[in-house]
Amino acid sequence: MASSRAGQKRKVVEVPRPEAEVDEEELENGELDGVLIDDGDSEDDSDEEVNDDDDEEEEDVGDEDEELDSDEIPSSEDEGEADVRQQLRDMKTTRAGTPSEKLVGSDTGKDISTISADTPVKALGAVVDVDDADKPNYRVDIDANGNPRYVYGEIDPSYDSDDSDAPPTANTIGDIPLSYYDAYPHIGYDINGRRIARPAKGEALDSLLDSIDLPEGWTGLTDPSTGKPLQLSKDELETLKKISRNEAPGDGYDPFPEMVYYFTGREEVMPLSAAPEPKRRFVPSSHEHKRVMKMVKAIKEGRIQPFREQTKEDREEEEAQEEFAQYDVWANEQARADHPMNVPAPKLPPPGYEESYHPPPEYLPDNNEREEWETQDEEDRERDFLPRDHAALRRVPGYEKFVKEKFERCLDLYLAPRVRRSKLNIDPESLLPKLPDPSELKPFPTTCAAVCRGHEGRVRSLAFDPEGRYVASGGDDGSVRLWEFTTGKQMWRVKLSASEAVNVVSWRPSRDAWILAACCGETVYFIVPQSELCAPEVEAASHAILDSGFGYAADNPGKTAAGVDKPTHSSWSRPNSAMQDKGIMLQLTLRSTPKTLSWHRRGDYFSTVSPATAATSTAVAIHTLSKHQSQYPFKRLKGLAQTVCFHPSKPLFFVATRQRVRIYDLQQQKMEKELLPGARWISDISLHPLGSNLLISSYDKRLLWHDLDLGTTPYKTLRYHSKAIRGVAFHPSLPLFADASDDGTLQVFHGKVVGDSLENATVVPLKVLRGHRVVKELGVLGVEWHPREAWCVSAGADGSLRLWT
Amino acid sequence: MAKIKKRGSSGASKNYITRSQAVRKLQISLPDFRRLCIFKGIYPREPRSKKRVSTSSTPSTTFYYTKDIQYLLHEPLLAKFRDQKALAKKISKALGRNEVGEAERKERNLTPRLRLDHIIKERYPTFVDAVRDLDDALSMLFLFANLPSTAEVPPKIITKCQRLTREFEHYLIRTHSLRKSFLSIKGIYYQATIQGQDVLWLVPYKFVQRTGGDVDFRIMATFVEFYTTLLGFVNFRLYTSIGLVYPPKFDLKAEEQGAGLAAIQPEGQNAEEREEDAMVTGTNEKAQAEADRLLSLPDADGEQQEPAKAAAEQSGADTEEQAPPANTLDTFQSLDAKADALLQPSATADSATAGHLFESFTFFLSRETPRHPLEFILRSFGCKRIGWDMSLGEPGAYCGENDKRITHQIVDRPDLPLPSPPATDGEADEEDGTAVRKGNERVPGRVYVQPQWVWDSINAGQLQRADLYAPGATLPPHLSPWVKARKGEYDPTLSLAEQETAAEIEAAEDGEGSEVDEAEADAALEAASEGEEVAGVRGDSEAAELEEELSEEDGGMDVELAGSDSEVDDAAAAGAQPDDEWGGFSGDEADDTALDAAAKATRDHQAELLAEATGQKLSNTSSAKDQKKAAREASQARRAREEREAREDGERRKMMMPRRKRKMFDKMVYSNARKDEEAEKLRGKRRRIENVGGARAGAGAGGK
Repeated sequence: MASSRAGQKRKVVEVPRPEAEVDEEELENGELDGVLIDDGDSEDDSDEEVNDDDDEEEEDVGDEDEELDSDEIPSSEDEGEADVRQQLRDMKTTRAGTPSEKLVGSDTGKDISTISADTPVKALGAVVDVDDADKPNYRVDIDANGNPRYVYGEIDPSYDSDDSDAPPTANTIGDIPLSYYDAYPHIGYDINGRRIARPAKGEALDSLLDSIDLPEGWTGLTDPSTGKPLQLSKDELETLKKISRNEAPGDGYDPFPEMVYYFTGREEVMPLSAAPEPKRRFVPSSHEHKRVMKMVKAIKEGRIQPFREQTKEDREEEEAQEEFAQYDVWANEQARADHPMNVPAPKLPPPGYEESYHPPPEYLPDNNEREEWETQDEEDRERDFLPRDHAALRRVPGYEKFVKEKFERCLDLYLAPRVRRSKLNIDPESLLPKLPDPSELKPFPTTCAAVCRGHEGRVRSLAFDPEGRYVASGGDDGSVRLWEFTTGKQMWRVKLSASEAVNVVSWRPSRDAWILAACCGETVYFIVPQSELCAPEVEAASHAILDSGFGYAADNPGKTAAGVDKPTHSSWSRPNSAMQDKGIMLQLTLRSTPKTLSWHRRGDYFSTVSPATAATSTAVAIHTLSKHQSQYPFKRLKGLAQTVCFHPSKPLFFVATRQRVRIYDLQQQKMEKELLPGARWISDISLHPLGSNLLISSYDKRLLWHDLDLGTTPYKTLRYHSKAIRGVAFHPSLPLFADASDDGTLQVFHGKVVGDSLENATVVPLKVLRGHRVVKELGVLGVEWHPREAWCVSAGADGSLRLWT
Repeated sequence: MAKIKKRGSSGASKNYITRSQAVRKLQISLPDFRRLCIFKGIYPREPRSKKRVSTSSTPSTTFYYTKDIQYLLHEPLLAKFRDQKALAKKISKALGRNEVGEAERKERNLTPRLRLDHIIKERYPTFVDAVRDLDDALSMLFLFANLPSTAEVPPKIITKCQRLTREFEHYLIRTHSLRKSFLSIKGIYYQATIQGQDVLWLVPYKFVQRTGGDVDFRIMATFVEFYTTLLGFVNFRLYTSIGLVYPPKFDLKAEEQGAGLAAIQPEGQNAEEREEDAMVTGTNEKAQAEADRLLSLPDADGEQQEPAKAAAEQSGADTEEQAPPANTLDTFQSLDAKADALLQPSATADSATAGHLFESFTFFLSRETPRHPLEFILRSFGCKRIGWDMSLGEPGAYCGENDKRITHQIVDRPDLPLPSPPATDGEADEEDGTAVRKGNERVPGRVYVQPQWVWDSINAGQLQRADLYAPGATLPPHLSPWVKARKGEYDPTLSLAEQETAAEIEAAEDGEGSEVDEAEADAALEAASEGEEVAGVRGDSEAAELEEELSEEDGGMDVELAGSDSEVDDAAAAGAQPDDEWGGFSGDEADDTALDAAAKATRDHQAELLAEATGQKLSNTSSAKDQKKAAREASQARRAREEREAREDGERRKMMMPRRKRKMFDKMVYSNARKDEEAEKLRGKRRRIENVGGARAGAGAGGK
């Protein structure tokens, strides 16, 4: 109750007070400013007063108040009470309170207040009624028209009731709080509907007077129902006092009134249920009987025993019983399939020789090992003990770390995560792929059989003659030399230029003639090495082939469709006689330096590539030897051309740019295919004699095998060189190929291509040929195969050619 | 639009749970969780990716399977743990109220008893499963059986461990299922075969175990609690399977007197068997009679042959040969060396043979030998009559030391003085029993062996030569029976020649000139080991002295001698050995070889000069040497070529492998190379040791 009161107190402070007064005053006075200020002042005052009052009250009546509260029946009419309190407080704000005011806050107080407010008024009313009883209830008046008018007097509602609760005067607003009328000048209506005027609030002087001579029974409270000052008689005050002191309020008060029994044992004439009482209410329960009998039986049989505290002996006996297994857990065992997630704890490995108390002497650590072991961190040690030798069993001391080791094992068992690791316990040899035995792949070059020395500076290019008897080579010194490669003997040489290097030497690929093409600077020289090296008829045929073009060129000068001379980028001419004496029969001068030259298989066409040319259109040229004609097939070539080659059987033309290889159909004059080897810079390509596989070597150390049937990406990528690969070559007849690299080695592979396209090519590495020196980071610059034998010749940057057989 | 999945709501993060999450889920304390995990055998898992699994930002280290933890939720033990916790609260409350009696009563009556039976059954659904997992249990229980009782290890646990382990040993004795044993520096390893499962355990030597501060006995006690329950059930099953009553009778009085194994008397399940099953002791008349009968056999043989020891050995061999048990396995000997060799079971693989190994002998254990392991091993390999010194515990001993029935005496002393001059050689001898024996003398008619003989015999499955193990003799190395020699690994049982690679042989031959260094190193090694040994001696310095004297008598095998010699030669040797690390220990043979080499060089030079003077060719000895050298060079070249070819071939094939495979290959090659290196190191050490030994023997022979 106290808490709820406190809460209400808090609430009260927060509740905004009705502003009716303000409005009223505004309306009446018409002074807004002053009103506000006045009002504020008055409010402040009243607040202060309230606070003061409260304090006082708490001091004075605190205990009584509490007692009153505790005596109260917990009220079901909290709301009403709250209302009353609200009213009281509202009034409190306007009037100064007295100590007794506090009493009104409680229920009893309220009752009392109603009683006390009513009684005197009622008495007064009764007197009035008696006096007016005989008079007629109306009087006759004359109205405005001169007609008589009955003016009825006020109706006196004499109910003759002794209802003391009903207030005689008659504010008919009923049970609504008076504060609703705060905004109005009246406080309600009497029975006739007239307004009951608000009792005049005393002027300051009146109130002063009032306070000076207090009338009898003055309380300072306002009767909430009438709005008039509440006056209490002496008896009433006495009663209140007694009640507040928890005494009997008066003489006639019966503190223990007779209890009224609303429900009694008396049988009613009309009971709520007329059903007769069931039998089970009168017979003993058979279910209970059953249960009891069960218990009785159990007790008799000894199943239920009275509780007995265990003695020490009992407990020991029990423990002894439990200490040893009494039954077989696995009596009806059933194997359970092991769960794959269950990883059984790994067993400790059995001890090895070194753990013996008397191991073989070789297992004992020497001083170094001992030191190493001792300095090592405990976790890094391979073994947790040092092998020791004890000559006899009696000398074996206890093992210090036994308990620790077992403890660590325990920790491992429950703390270590277990992971199944498949341990590779296989012979590494079995991982190696099965390859055909190199001896089955024979023949292939294995050793260096001969070295041809003579070139000054690098040997840039080399070529086997079509018969396979000689090797031609050209190098940085501007000379072309012919070697008998089996012996390394130089057979013939010609110096083409003093300043420029011979970039390419290449034999015309047919046996009926013996023509060597050599590119030196911007010129391509066609040479018939004049010596006794070839048969005279072959030599004559060669001369004829080289010369035939002159006649054609003279007959059909190159003209465009418009008849204008074609702009020639090349000129075919006879060299000077000194050169002709040396065997140089024809020269073709281009605008830029050709770096590669490749022949068509028939020997009539050849193609040159000059990567350094200004216009990409003139990079690749196809020349016709018999017509002394040069064509530039590409108007615009994508990428920088590196090298070209002709297909051995089809009219296909392979052009390798830096990163791609394009295949053109020469007849239909369109691109057939584009290969994407993935190399950064292609150095050389070599087409398999069957024409279905292409080898691409690149400066980024890769060798790429393209199967033209398979797709645009390489079938195999081989990376076995540590430096750039300069050249690659297929053997013309045997399933071999070799590449030359700047790391000074040649690698020979077995590359077998099966005719049908169902089977992929097999590539087997065979041999790494070492011998060439690496000069200025250049190793082997070229490699060529003998036309028939499994021999190859390599050209080295060290100025030598090596024959590998 | 599909709902965006929340992180950690499915997949791996659902499958794993961190330890703290698990503890929270189970609502128990961490120690209780630990116990529960130990009991239930639940262990953390390693997720593939920890990051993916952890739901929190802080890295957790321990993960469990969620399902494992879920399965723990239904564990009855969990309720017990909670009861325990509630009880603890009650007790503390009572103590807080100063009601000690009440607290005591509560503790007495309300303490929940943990029963692990259902867990045993759950973790090991079949008996074989339990046997398979017995390794750790046995090691642990044997350790606890040997621990002193402390506050952490109450005596109750220790006695229980002792009893359980003894019972287990009795089973092994009864069924002869012990197979192998090994004396290691850590303790004694035993291996038994139970129902086809190999069980290996380690028993510490009888010393007070050092327990450092970093050992948490609560964890170990939890394990022991589980293991005792397990071994109890295993013992029950084992005993009942051979028709014995479990638990066997435990003679408390005998135990107090130190009876050891004999304190437990297994009984048959029906009354008739009981008599037979009783362990043979001196008081058992029936066994006595049998023993006498058996004993008479070697005696009869012994009359015919001179040395009693040889006789005993012979008889042992004879009895084995005479009646080869029909059900034992034959040994298959491959005729062709190239043919595949099949794995053959070892001789002790069946209990029939194991049960007969020591059956016909009577052993006496000297007071310095470890009685318990010896008794256990001898009994499980068929020996029924074992006597020991009274100081080792009275009850159970078959006979005293002076008993005439004793055939073998196991001693571990430097050497025993002989009662009379040796008949043939100094090992063993026969002497008439009438001679008065001094306290420390040998009793004639017995084989005296060191304990290692027993172990080596059982591991080999046959009796070893007793003379190698005679008291005071240098024992042959004790080898682990579990190491299976693999190809390329070092095997100390084979000679060096059988396992050396060609390269090593070459290197060894080449290195003969530089043998000086090796010899030095070896001397150092030996000195080191000797020093260590001396340091390891525990108080029997007189024994060591005795041994030294003996070795001096033998002559030639002592390192001290070499050391003293080398001190003299040291100054001379110092010049020849610039990189001498262990100056004081250089062996004399090293100097010998150095001197030899110098002398030979001068001799050769002389011969050359002579040849020059006379105009002749050099003598044929040197030419023979040249030939040899040439041959060696040729072989070396050939080998080098072969190696190179092999290497090239390997390279060639490696080139064809994909990169990943190549990496794996390289790893494997690396690990193999490490193994090879280790083996090579061991072989190198052995060669050096052999060289030193040979040189010393040669020197010794020359000296004599």
